Amino acid sequence: MEEQLRNKAKELLETGCVKVVIGYGWNRTKTRTAPVFITRPEDADRLVWNPLCVNNLSVYLTRKFKDIQALGKPAIVAKGCDIRNIVVLITEAQVRREDVVIIGMTCGGVVYRQELWKGELKPEIMPTKCANCGVRNPRVADFVIGERSSFTPPEAPTGMVFDKIKAIDAMTPAERWNFWIGEFSRCIKCYACRQVCPLCYCERCITEKNMPQWIETSAHPRGNLSWNLTRAMHLVGRCTFCGECERACPVNIPLNLMNQKMIQVVDEAFAFKSGYDEKTHPPMIVFSPDDKEGFIK
Amino acid sequence: MADGFLKKDDLNRLRASVAAKGGRFVAPVTVARQTVFKETAPSDEVALGYILARNSYKEFLFPQTEAIAEFSIHRQGVELRGKDADARDTVIFGARPCEAASLASLRAVFTWGFIDESYTKREDKTVVITVACTSGDDACFCTTVGLSPESAAGSDVMFHETDADGWLVYAVTEKGRAFIEAHADAWSAAAPEDAVARTLFMPPVIAGVDIKKIGERLKKKDHYDEPLWAELTRKCIGCGACTYVCPTCHCFDITDEGAAFEGERRKNWDSCQYDSFTLHASGHNPRDAQWKRWRNRFMCKFNFYPEKFGSKGCVGCGRCVRVCPVRLDITEVMEEMSKRP
Repeated sequence: MEEQLRNKAKELLETGCVKVVIGYGWNRTKTRTAPVFITRPEDADRLVWNPLCVNNLSVYLTRKFKDIQALGKPAIVAKGCDIRNIVVLITEAQVRREDVVIIGMTCGGVVYRQELWKGELKPEIMPTKCANCGVRNPRVADFVIGERSSFTPPEAPTGMVFDKIKAIDAMTPAERWNFWIGEFSRCIKCYACRQVCPLCYCERCITEKNMPQWIETSAHPRGNLSWNLTRAMHLVGRCTFCGECERACPVNIPLNLMNQKMIQVVDEAFAFKSGYDEKTHPPMIVFSPDDKEGFIK
Repeated sequence: MADGFLKKDDLNRLRASVAAKGGRFVAPVTVARQTVFKETAPSDEVALGYILARNSYKEFLFPQTEAIAEFSIHRQGVELRGKDADARDTVIFGARPCEAASLASLRAVFTWGFIDESYTKREDKTVVITVACTSGDDACFCTTVGLSPESAAGSDVMFHETDADGWLVYAVTEKGRAFIEAHADAWSAAAPEDAVARTLFMPPVIAGVDIKKIGERLKKKDHYDEPLWAELTRKCIGCGACTYVCPTCHCFDITDEGAAFEGERRKNWDSCQYDSFTLHASGHNPRDAQWKRWRNRFMCKFNFYPEKFGSKGCVGCGRCVRVCPVRLDITEVMEEMSKRP
């Protein structure tokens, strides 16, 4: 697969079809992968593909990265789950389909965090999304690299995130509040969750609006709660459960729980899952006379 | 010759002794699957088998958020009431030599021109107990920046682990000696005979890195805008994780919080990695691309700190490397910078 990927990247750069290939490469000690930006065909051999390729590179397609956009038309190495984010970016008019070449990688799952890798991909070091993945064969891609995966996700989603959501749903509102206040109390306001998120592409985040300061920047319980809840709300109907925010969080706040819960709420209310169809707009940005109004009591 | 010996079982006696004198005891404890410096409650179990706490203990000297004044707005005008730093006797237990070395750098910044008493008063009341490293990981690089697992700079008391289920205790500063004497009940004056200091973990020096050359290179203005910066750091996503875990990063912002007519003026950590950090009121931003912000952090570590204060900007703790969501490894940039003419 790696060979095919490198050849494809080389070809795209040589023909001038794209100016940059956004992919994964090794760090110095070959123990971790990290994003790389290949602009010369002779550098295409730096590209790698393996279960350590966890990053969702579609963040680099957003307008937060003007200097990457300035390089010219990109090709992006993307797993099926990453492509779902590109699809959301397309439906939200952030990226035009024809402006990006998607090199889709068939995927057998990745590690939850790279430091867990001991040379073998076992279910216990994979994120919940991988166990329930319906896009191991990338859907919206210009090229697909790798053999077709025959994996079918379980009918009822399984994994730690789903188990924990059930446990939290069973709590009383007071218990639930205490749970989240406890989790958010660790927040250090580094905004890694926002920066790593392909869907947090605002050039001026609400936390940066300081006349007045809408969201308190203080890392005290009130400031942490307002930040984390505001961000969660901004992702409703958009988040694809890629898990980057939780992976990036330096203090282990279980953001996947919140995001997956939102996904379930949206699915119940609108029968909508984000990132599968670039022609359908997310429910929160359209009004339909058929929208359920059951919440009005 | 050690100044004493503390049995691991007696650590709680030391904690109780500190608490009895009204001090707070900050130590690594396990929180959400991580080892974290925290003000311990008597029920907290101090973590012992860790490499480095996730956070730097700087937050106990330079809190992440701190009210520096209160204000209220009346018909007659604005009333501003300053708040003094609540500086308490503090013991930091379980620091590592790398982060201990950062205190001189923080002090240099907070006493440069203006004396920031909210820092100095806290630091004056803090005793740092450093435990020399017997383990490490591939992100540790203290030896590359001229430190080692037994460097004593910044520590008041140094502990060395032994196989006799305890630590050899050494006073480093006068403050440390006074601390040892004040809590004499907690430790035994003499170490048992079999208490031999364990071998320390020495991270390999990264051969390609030449700190002096990096410093010289950063002084040359024609390197400031070279494309190399963008090539090396393009993947930076602009979060502030590296700066918030860094023991020498010290930037903060002043913000007003509260209701319309009363509130607090707070001093909050800020990060040079945010695009709003240097955004001017005019809309102009001198650091308008992420690589320029990353360059600033690198300059701060290897040019500003050494040139302005003669102190270390980077202590090689590796926290920024471990925490980076895109694995932007500062040592890889250091290596590239050492290679270039």
